[in-house]
Order: sequence, then C-alpha cells, then structure tokens
Amino acid sequence: MLKITNLVKKYGRFTAVDNLCMEISEGQIFGFVGANGAGKTTTMKIIAGLLAPTSGEVLVDGIDISVNPRLVKRKIGYMPDFFGVYDDLKVDEYMDFYAGIYGIPYRERKTITDQLLELVDLSHKRDSYVDNLSRGMKQRLCLARSLIHNPSLLVLDEPASGLDPRARIEMKGILRELRNMGKTVLISSHILSELSEICTSIGIISQGKIVACGTVDEILDKLSHTGRVKIKVREKMDEAVKLLQEQPSVGRIEINGNSIEANFKGDEQVLSEILKRLVMNEIPVVSFTETGGSLESVFMQLTEGSEGYNA
Amino acid sequence: MLNPILEKDIKTKMRGWRTPVLLSIYLLFLGLVLFLFFLANDQLFDTYGYSNFNPRIAVNAYNVIAIFQFALLMLIVPAITATAISGERERQTLDLMLCSDISTWSIILGKLVVSIAHIMLLVFASLPILGMVFLFGGITFGEIMLLFLFYLITALMVASLGIFLSTVFRKNVTAIITTYICLGALALGPVIVFFIWGVFGLRSFNGEITYSIITAFLFPSPGFGFSSFFAGGRSSIFGGIFSEIMNLAERETSFIRYLKPWMINGLFNIIFSGILICLSAWKLNPVKRRKRKAKKVD
Repeated sequence: MLKITNLVKKYGRFTAVDNLCMEISEGQIFGFVGANGAGKTTTMKIIAGLLAPTSGEVLVDGIDISVNPRLVKRKIGYMPDFFGVYDDLKVDEYMDFYAGIYGIPYRERKTITDQLLELVDLSHKRDSYVDNLSRGMKQRLCLARSLIHNPSLLVLDEPASGLDPRARIEMKGILRELRNMGKTVLISSHILSELSEICTSIGIISQGKIVACGTVDEILDKLSHTGRVKIKVREKMDEAVKLLQEQPSVGRIEINGNSIEANFKGDEQVLSEILKRLVMNEIPVVSFTETGGSLESVFMQLTEGSEGYNA
Repeated sequence: MLNPILEKDIKTKMRGWRTPVLLSIYLLFLGLVLFLFFLANDQLFDTYGYSNFNPRIAVNAYNVIAIFQFALLMLIVPAITATAISGERERQTLDLMLCSDISTWSIILGKLVVSIAHIMLLVFASLPILGMVFLFGGITFGEIMLLFLFYLITALMVASLGIFLSTVFRKNVTAIITTYICLGALALGPVIVFFIWGVFGLRSFNGEITYSIITAFLFPSPGFGFSSFFAGGRSSIFGGIFSEIMNLAERETSFIRYLKPWMINGLFNIIFSGILICLSAWKLNPVKRRKRKAKKVD
C-alpha cells in the first residue's frame, strides 16, 4: 500500500529525514513512534504531498507521488497534528465544503456526511458551529473530514495529542472501527503506549531514521533483555550515578529527586551485578526496582540521545 | 458544480458582521460626500425656487463621487484580498486544502472570484447614490456601466496583486502592508520615473515625447488610467493634460493611436493580472516546487 524508499529531507545542513525506508501493507495499522523532532511529521507531510523531499521515492498503491500527486492525494486521507477550522461554518457545512473540495457530487454529500458524523459520534452536533466544539470533537471532525473521499490510506499525525483521557479512549475506538473497515492507517505518536494497543506494526524513528520496525512482539524479541531500573538512594547520589555510568550494561540515566532511573541491557544476572557494585561501594541503597513496560524500555534505548519523550 | 471555495467564502462572508458593516460605512461615506458637494454648491435648501438649478453641478458631482469611490476601492481591495491565502495559512486550514486533489488554480481562482464579487457588491450598492445625478440629467446609464467596467478591471489587477502577495508572505499583516506598498509604487512610480526622465533625460526622447513613450511609462499606473478615463469625457479636472496627450495620439503611427489611454491601462491590468494569477498558482503548488528543488540538489 505504501512504500518509502531512501527518503531524504534536508533543511539547509539539517537532515530531518535521513534515508528512510519502510513499507506498509494493505489493512495494517502502522504506528510511527518517535520523540518530538524525530522526523515523523516531515515524513507524513511528504507522504501527503505537502512537502518536497530532497530525494527518495514515495509510492502509494504503486503510484509515485512526485509523478502523479493528484491521483495519490485521492487515495490518502491526511489529518495534520495542528489544524484550524473555519469559525463561521457549521459542522455539516464544514463536511460539505471538503466534500466539494474532493469533487463529490451534491446528491451524495448528505449521505456521506451522515455516515461519517455517525462514525465519529458527532451526529448530534451537525448544526453547531465548528468553533464551539471541544478539542476532542474538533479532532474527531477532522478525522471525519479526512475520510470524506473514502481514501484507502489514512495518514494521521498525532490524532490524540492534547486530548483528555476520555477523548483518547474515544479516538482509539474510532481507530479500531477503521481497522475493521479495512483501512490502512499510518498513525504517529510520541507516546508509545498509546499506539501499542491498537497497532498491528510499529516503526520507531529517531533522528530521521527508522531504528526498529515490525510487530510489537518482533521488536521485543529483537531487543530482548532490555529493561529499566529505579534506584532510590539515601545519600551519595553523585557517586551512585558515576558508578552506574561506568557500567557498560547501563544506558541512559535520569535523576528524579533522590532516585535514579536507568536503562540497562541484560538479564537478572546483570541487574544483580549492578546492585552488588553499588552496595560494595557503600552507596546507601533504599530501594532497587525493575520498572516500566518492556516496550517503553526498548523505545528509550533505541531513541537514546534524542530528547522530549513523554511516556 | 460551483467552485467549493467560492461557495463557502461567499456564505461565510455574507454571514458575518464585517460585510454589512463595511458596506454601510462605504455607502455612508459616499452619501456624505455627495451631500456635502451639493451643499457646497448651493443645490440644497434653495429658497429661490429653481433659479439656482445647475445641471453642470450634477456632472461634477458624478466626477467627485467616482473619484472618491475609486480611492476607497484602492484602499479596500488590498485589505480584502491580501489575506486570501495567508489567512488560510494563519488559520492552519491551507494544508487541508493542499493535501486534497483540488488544483491550486481552483484555489486561486475561487479566492479571486470571491474577492471580485465582494468588491462588485460595494460598487453596485453605490448605484443609488450615483443615480442621484440622474435627477439633474447629463449622465447616461451606459456611462455609469462603463465606469463600473473600469472599476472591475482595476479591481481585478489589485486583487490579483493582493492574492499573489498573500501566497508569498505567511502573515496577513505583512501581506496587506506589502500590497499597499506595491500598489502605491505602481500608482506613483511610473509618474515619478516619467517626470524625472522627462526633466533630466529629455534628449533620450530625441527632444520629443511621443504617445508610445507616454503609453509605456504612464498607463500602467492605475491613478493615471483613471484620470484619463475622465479626461476623455466631460471632466475638466484633467482635461488640459489629456487633450495634449490625445494630440500626441493623433501623430502616432502605430496601432496604439486607436486606443484611448484608459483602454491601454485596462489592457495592462488584464495582462498583469493574468501573470500574477499564474505566479500565485505556481507558488502555492508544493509538488511543483518539489520538482524544481529536487533538480537543484541533483
């Protein structure tokens, strides 16, 4: 359905997308995960035909977007991370406008609008002004807009960002519905746990490169024995951090008050070695606990060095 | 099927409060100008019956209203048009249009027609005020329609300029200010350049100013075009300058001698608008820019 080959996007000397390759087959819900600034939005904008790649190829259903952009755009429904609405349009007028943009005949518009508003649970708001909707409702309306021309591929850039927990659950429900409808979905987020529940596959992007790609289980298998440990010390914090940094099995370290959180690679044997070394160096360890979902740990390890991750 | 942008923008523009308020202020201003003109010329509250009635005043009133209307349009058109695309960008709705399969031509033409329709609404709404001169006679309906045609062509050029600059600049304020600056330069620039050249470099005209030189230099200016529109008719305001220009036209040997100065200005406006619309559609198209950039990198 979507094939990206050697995609590069440069802004001057800065490389936003660096030789990115990936493939999504029909019916997949592909989660595109990465820290802020990793290159997710740039890649998605290129797929949607809104940005020019420096080099590389994007094929949708075998059609190159740079050769036939209009045909490719008909196959894609794009929902950006930030979008505006016309404050003086009502919900059904908003849908009617975008139906017109995609050249849908007048007689078919009402039926399509009704179906889509039903899907995103906004039928009761069809006569409300768009500007009066809550953020969650606006996100759902934008999702309905992206479906108006019945695209086969949906490109959703952080559709759940800024939503409260209830709205996030509703959004997940809609995405499940789309999966049941057989749509291929490329969805991005910087929150891994949000995607792991609904995606069939996940690609982790860091500094413009795909660092891991596959099903959730495959990624875990590929990088097994990866974990995160939380260590609470009474004093000698600096000394403890220094000792941890000297350990080759320890990766990224974060300090929160008097506790340290560190990524490590290895099994329980390695974990006990770390504890032993701290105790032998007279660090007053109060608690030593393995924490976090293992998928989160994989993500942290893979994107080490990049900033801005929110769990 | 109607252009969806045209359909939506007309609906939202007429629904809001801005259009009725703008229309009211515009008509009040024109009405006030006409009232003050008649008052100043002793055509109101005449206590001596019809002895003071002067039809010539009506023609002058028509000229004054037309001049004020033209000046107002030159002020209003940039404000309406220069936010056409930058406004969509600021509102973060432009990407939603560009990611669809609608062509950038349709977007630009939709925006242009909406702007022109908005301007022509102002122009036609002023018809009753201009029609006041019919009470006195001396002006025909055809002349008013010809004036509206001139407004339409000039507004087309200014609207195209505004839309082009709104595709270039991301912010509404920058686009509006730049449109005013460009319009000012277009109105005054040719006149200034012509007179500087006329004063300091008369020899380069071989000592003679021809109709072709005036055409090339002065008629791109909307102000000069408008002045010539009246000079060819009844007004004595610009009569002196333009009777000289028409004398030069008679000596001209090329085809332009058959064109009146305002027609040349109108032709320039139409051609310039066409170029600006093409540039706007090209500038707005991200895929086209991609191809060019990709070539550079290779």
